Amino acid sequence: MSMTAARMLARDWRGGELGVLVMALVLAVGVVSGISAFTTKLQNALVQESHRFLAADAVVSSGRPLPEEWLQQAEADGLQRALTLSFPSMVYAGDENMYLASIKAVSAAYPLRGELTYGMQPFGETLPASAGPARGEVWLDSRLFSLLDVALQDQVMIGDHAFLVVAVARTEPDQGASFYGFGPRVLMHYDDIPATGVVQPGSRVEYRQLFAGPEASMKAFSRWLQPQLQDGQKALSVEEGQPSISSALARAESFLLLAGSLAVVLAGVAVALAARRFSERHHDYVAIIKSLGATSGAVNRLYASSLLLLGLIATALGCGLGFAIQAVFFTLFAEQLPVQPGSSGLRPYAIGAATSITCLFCFAWPPLRRLGQASPLRVLRRDLPLEGSRAISDYLLGLLAVVLLMWWYSGDWKLTLAVLAGLGVTVGLGLGLALTLLKGGRLVGMSAGNIWRLALAGLQRRGLANALQVVIFSMAIMMLLVLLLVRTSLIDEWQTQLPVDSPNHFMLNIAPQDVPAVERLLVAEGVSREAFYPMIRGRIMSVNSEALVSTEDVEEDRRQRETNLTWSQGLPKDNTLVAGQWWPAGTDQALVSLEESFAERLGVNVGDSVGFLVGSQPLEAQVTSIRALDWQSMRPNFYLVFPPKLLAAYPSTFMTSFHLEAADKAFLNRFIRRFPTVTVIEMDAVVEQVRGIIEQVSAAINLVLVVILAAGALVLVAGVQASVDARMHESAILRALGAPRRLILGSLLIEFATLGLFAGFLATVAAELSVYILQTLVMDMRYTPTFWIWPLGILSGAFIIGSLGVFSCRKVVAVAPVTVLREL
Amino acid sequence: MIKCDNLQKRVPIAGAELEILKGITLEIKSGESVAIIGASGSGKSTLLGLLAGLDEGSGGSVTINGTDLGTLDEDGRARFRGEHIGFVFQSFQLLPALTALENVMLPLELQGQYDVAEKAEHYLKRVELEARMRHYPLQLSGGEQQRVALARAFASRPAILFADEPTGNLDSRTGDRIIDLMFELNREEGTTLVLVTHDSALADRCDRRLRLDGGALVQE
Repeated sequence: MSMTAARMLARDWRGGELGVLVMALVLAVGVVSGISAFTTKLQNALVQESHRFLAADAVVSSGRPLPEEWLQQAEADGLQRALTLSFPSMVYAGDENMYLASIKAVSAAYPLRGELTYGMQPFGETLPASAGPARGEVWLDSRLFSLLDVALQDQVMIGDHAFLVVAVARTEPDQGASFYGFGPRVLMHYDDIPATGVVQPGSRVEYRQLFAGPEASMKAFSRWLQPQLQDGQKALSVEEGQPSISSALARAESFLLLAGSLAVVLAGVAVALAARRFSERHHDYVAIIKSLGATSGAVNRLYASSLLLLGLIATALGCGLGFAIQAVFFTLFAEQLPVQPGSSGLRPYAIGAATSITCLFCFAWPPLRRLGQASPLRVLRRDLPLEGSRAISDYLLGLLAVVLLMWWYSGDWKLTLAVLAGLGVTVGLGLGLALTLLKGGRLVGMSAGNIWRLALAGLQRRGLANALQVVIFSMAIMMLLVLLLVRTSLIDEWQTQLPVDSPNHFMLNIAPQDVPAVERLLVAEGVSREAFYPMIRGRIMSVNSEALVSTEDVEEDRRQRETNLTWSQGLPKDNTLVAGQWWPAGTDQALVSLEESFAERLGVNVGDSVGFLVGSQPLEAQVTSIRALDWQSMRPNFYLVFPPKLLAAYPSTFMTSFHLEAADKAFLNRFIRRFPTVTVIEMDAVVEQVRGIIEQVSAAINLVLVVILAAGALVLVAGVQASVDARMHESAILRALGAPRRLILGSLLIEFATLGLFAGFLATVAAELSVYILQTLVMDMRYTPTFWIWPLGILSGAFIIGSLGVFSCRKVVAVAPVTVLREL
Repeated sequence: MIKCDNLQKRVPIAGAELEILKGITLEIKSGESVAIIGASGSGKSTLLGLLAGLDEGSGGSVTINGTDLGTLDEDGRARFRGEHIGFVFQSFQLLPALTALENVMLPLELQGQYDVAEKAEHYLKRVELEARMRHYPLQLSGGEQQRVALARAFASRPAILFADEPTGNLDSRTGDRIIDLMFELNREEGTTLVLVTHDSALADRCDRRLRLDGGALVQE
């Protein structure tokens, strides 16, 4: 029997019967496994990326020396180990120059993850380093060269020890984003610490032990380590190193999962349509083999084994396609990703195979299962009606499968709900349309006298089938529109977030009297910059007069903390009010506006009061508003904003951000020489990386859109094919009776284009609803109605369905009517 | 032996019942050849369908070689057809997906027989189609297709062969050759033959003629 199944399948394939079915399955498996392999690898890369920001897989830190035994245990577990010690200390050059620097001593193995870079001239090109400074040598921050007036190969003193300056310290993987309050960096060897004599018990220092190794060993070690930690010893968590990248990637991932889910639904619909047509065309087959003695069990076994064979082939091809898709994506990303993503494992392909099985069982099998019940009497009477091929249970099973697949695949019920809502609207409106068509007055006969009347009569005659077709078309068009809309707004949003000239350097600690001079210099050099913001260090002491805990060692949201304060007359650029009201201009009351997440951590709302210590002065202010702001904008942003009059009396410095091209970086040397106390933070590498990744994510998204377009096109083709037989039959009769080519093609065009027009309209309504839910509930974006989608959806629906319909039926005017009639 | 006792067939049409067969009683002996003749709509094909177990009657019974078809469900009848009955149809009813050889092998495979290819080849040679065994039905002429159908019908060595207008889609010369072949095979295999036809010359070649008129048997 399986041989018969294989032969039948081979012949059906050659006859073009299985094309849509197989392609739909291959596409479903390919898109699902490809996207899931891609996102798995992307997540691997993100985890590794975050390890990079720790310079290790795990880190323990403390203000006091950490136990030696931990290193021994790590060594026994086969892990890599490194040590760092950070502390502030004066650096001396000759007799005249000294500066308070932030010293970091590192052992030879540092860093275990990520990249350490150095340079051979201040603010110059960055070069990868295989290890930190050797004993007796130091690397100095770019700024220190002008601050200390030294050059490479000069000597500097730290404590009692002299060091040779051999390189410029550029970047460390774990330098972190908290650049406020830290002096310029000096890197030295860990083993030189005793010789300096500067680290004494009670010094303000941070010891770190760094560990890295295979995942399993790391997990075992972390389990062992956790209970040993005492007060003041902290295991550093894997923090989000760069919110811009991870947020862009998280949204891209949502988009890809959405695309994958839609691909599954589209492919499922195409499979169902193709299987139904296949089943209808096989009723005569089944009647013959039943007349020859096949039982319904044998028929079911025959088709089940055909389907299984088909499923195996399609799954194998689909997994190949999936592998290709993720490989193409990663070729796009290879240059941008700083880490190797590793292998995605077999799970994505297992997901693909499960999708294939689900599609086969829930979409393809129900219509084929009915073949077993086909009457053998069809061998004598071909006009017997087909066995109830439109059982409601098929649709319910299909719907259930769609919901489960989408939910399982995206892991997001909101996303599933958004798409379902759109589908619901489509089905509801589509059925309403069917009733309207059916209720309308009956046109007489085939109305073959006039092209329009012929088309309209055709539409009405197949009212229910047409409505079903409209629903299917509009489902496909809707999903394509949803994807197109979400893609467009995602990419737009990214582009506005980080335009080409977005700031990539920060300047801090600008003295108030220097602000005009700095501004003049920037303008003279043609550097585009943001406004200057005042900055005052302050400490949060209490909420509603209740003192907060002061410890720095425990992870506690509600605790005292140092932070930067600023003042502003109006609401800062890019900020939006979430609660409360902005203060009136010129107010001299003690008011404060808090950033959303900061207020949440502190447990503070509008109307509460917060106590600060600014310098040595206490200050109590009332919260009047909560702001949301865009941390990815690379502009100066502040958690706390006060009215100008309140802080004007306190000593402050200013900060700004600006954009500098790579070619113009020599400007920084001139600038630091003139304003040695100003701190310049270089973010250009990070901004470039974020921009690069966003560009690649956009490319990946466009690629996915193309793949999904193919899935959508398959549904449309399958949908048109579903009705082609009946239309061809009628057209062949008309043709036999002498109807001209123009009349037949014209009326077919009108008929299909009208269906497409309705479908396009339904799809657009449903797409807007879906996108609204998706953007507000799932992707955390702002929803704005899109107007261009209306003409696009409606007209492209009419155009595509119209042309596909005429194309599929073109044979009817190209060959003799008798051939058409005999073949059907 | 086929026994048919007060066989009736009614179908619901537009709320009423249409009586297609009005209590047919007949007997056909083993090895006998019988032609069922009558005008269009007289119920010939319906009777054939019922006698061959392709359909269920609304009353009465059909017994073939001692088995009452009414006691079997559709799967039981399918097995019965596979073991005892062969068909030749007006529209040939070959599976377009299968070659001539595969079409002939199909009923043998369905019965789980061995050496199906050899047996099928034997019958294709018998109908003089050894040169076209690997051809698909669409590559064969109407006469050739009907010869494949004959080979398929006889390959499973049925006790009874039912033929529905076997020459209806063929020109008269081709039709005559098919009929000669069918009667030859029928004699060689000792098969009971029941055929439905409009063609009185064809009917004359049978041992007996049964005329249907308005769903009832009438005297010749």
